[in-house]
Amino acid sequence: MINLRINGDMRAVDVPGDMPLLWVLRDILGLTGTKFGCGIAQCGACTVHLDGIPVRSCLLPVGTIGERAITTIEGIAETPNGAKIQKAWLDLEVIQCGYCQSGQIMSATALLNVTPNPDDADIDAAMAGNICRCGTYVRIREAIKQAAKSV
Amino acid sequence: MTLSSNGMLIRTGILAVIVIVVVAFFWFVVGPGPLDFAGGKTVAIAAYSGANPTGVPVEFAKDDLVTRGRYLTQAADCQACHTTEGGLPFAGGRAFKTPFGTLYSPNITPDRETGIGTWTDADLLQAIHQGISRDGTRLYPAFPYAAYTYLADADVLAIKAYLFSLPAVHNAPPANSLAFPYNQRWLMAIWSFLYNPDQRFQPNAERSPEWNRGAYLAEALGHCGDCHTPRNRLQALDNHRKFAGTVVQGWRAYNITGDQDTGVGAWNNAELTSYLSTGHATGRGTASGPMAEAVDLSLAHLSATDHAAIVAYLRSVPAIPSPDLPAPKAEPAPAAPKLGTPAGIDSRGQKLFAGACAGCHDWTGVSPLSPLATLTGGRAVNDPSAANVAQIILLGALRQTIQGVSIMPAFGSAYSDVEIAALANYVVARFGAKPSAITAEEIAELRRMQ
Ligand code: FES
Ligand code: FES
Repeated sequence: MINLRINGDMRAVDVPGDMPLLWVLRDILGLTGTKFGCGIAQCGACTVHLDGIPVRSCLLPVGTIGERAITTIEGIAETPNGAKIQKAWLDLEVIQCGYCQSGQIMSATALLNVTPNPDDADIDAAMAGNICRCGTYVRIREAIKQAAKSV
Repeated sequence: MTLSSNGMLIRTGILAVIVIVVVAFFWFVVGPGPLDFAGGKTVAIAAYSGANPTGVPVEFAKDDLVTRGRYLTQAADCQACHTTEGGLPFAGGRAFKTPFGTLYSPNITPDRETGIGTWTDADLLQAIHQGISRDGTRLYPAFPYAAYTYLADADVLAIKAYLFSLPAVHNAPPANSLAFPYNQRWLMAIWSFLYNPDQRFQPNAERSPEWNRGAYLAEALGHCGDCHTPRNRLQALDNHRKFAGTVVQGWRAYNITGDQDTGVGAWNNAELTSYLSTGHATGRGTASGPMAEAVDLSLAHLSATDHAAIVAYLRSVPAIPSPDLPAPKAEPAPAAPKLGTPAGIDSRGQKLFAGACAGCHDWTGVSPLSPLATLTGGRAVNDPSAANVAQIILLGALRQTIQGVSIMPAFGSAYSDVEIAALANYVVARFGAKPSAITAEEIAELRRMQ
């Protein structure tokens, strides 16, 4: 049994330690807000937070997480920056098809956690690992700036 | 001066020249043997006061011959060279690109036509100890028989028993494509005369049983020097620079002498043991390329006592510095992407890192995903040649650890030579102690070697 702290709740899962967290979230726990894109840490769709740091859950062996707190898209609105980001996303209608957006929101929230007022270069560096095939990049950048300004 | 005393002088002079030539020949051309650094007297195994350093560890001594052979086959890492990527174990065919042409490893499964199924004990002993195949042809020293020559007969026969217990695989590897004169196998007789002592391991009477076991594991079985010791012009190990590191098949095998800054002198025993047994030590980095393979196929399977013995032996090897390597930088890079990279670095490197690498390796170099993916403190990012960083970017990494599979995707087909050079230089500048300047041409050369 592996114990995980997910969005504030303790969850016990009976899975092998080398199973990627993404599989545990989606297939074992039914938390399907986090998406599968590439499986090799190259698209960002599966991004979740470990203690506020963005990680690609598709390559994260669940057995190595230990005590670190996992936050997924289902729980991000409970965090101050996550709430701001989600509001800006809605206000600016960032989303196109939506597939990449859970990951985009997780990465954007993590950016605000460490850089409260990001400039374009900060945004590019933090968001480059999140691919959007619908090309919503311009709106993502605007929404991050708007969220940073909001109180 | 009389005529005869004149003649004497000339004779003495000639004699002196001959002595100097012979000494110089042995010093420069032949050089010391792999264990000469230890000094002291060696004795026959029966005459050694401690435990027999050959064979398997005591806890496996009662196992049957095939099981013991399996342990020794792993310790000798036969599988790495005798298996192609994704191929059946021991079926041969792995290509070794050398400056002289390409060699292919033979099939050592018990197949009677394409393997070694018809070989007698004497045939295998001759191949392993003397580098002479069953049909009398000479083997190339890519097969490390100058190391395996130290293997006890009983250990070679245990390895044979294990190999013969495996399923026969019918597979004829391609013929070697060596250019003249390297395709003249008989020339290897001269090489063997110079560089293969054709001697079994003899314990050093003045060293502990643990040291002698470590020496047997590192020299006879593990043949560490075949990658970590530089070679002379005749492709023999130059033990004047034993374990000081060199480049093998485009990968840099680092200095594993006791040098504090550029070798493993600053590593503690737990770190060395962890690296040998898992391919990773916290703060010291993760094995990749050929060393990862050596860990996964060989070293990880050894007993704890054998790991300790190798560590004890490594500790005794004289320190030799690698002047081009800095002491590794132990501190992580800043979390903010804008900080921590010296000016003048190709900005494409940072862009690529942001898109393809930061998700796992983090901007600090300390991976939140897996300790295996932590860059900080590792030798590769602290190597201003950037060779291994470039190789890992090109080829990715696949580790079969005891905890499970760990992968990094290969970027060789996604990015151009210019991009990979920029990325490698960015990684070394951000996470290492000294920047690198690998070029697109060098990346192209690494690709050609694959
Ligand atoms: S699914 Fe994890 S990064 Fe693409
Ligand atoms: S909104 Fe469709 S992939 Fe990003």
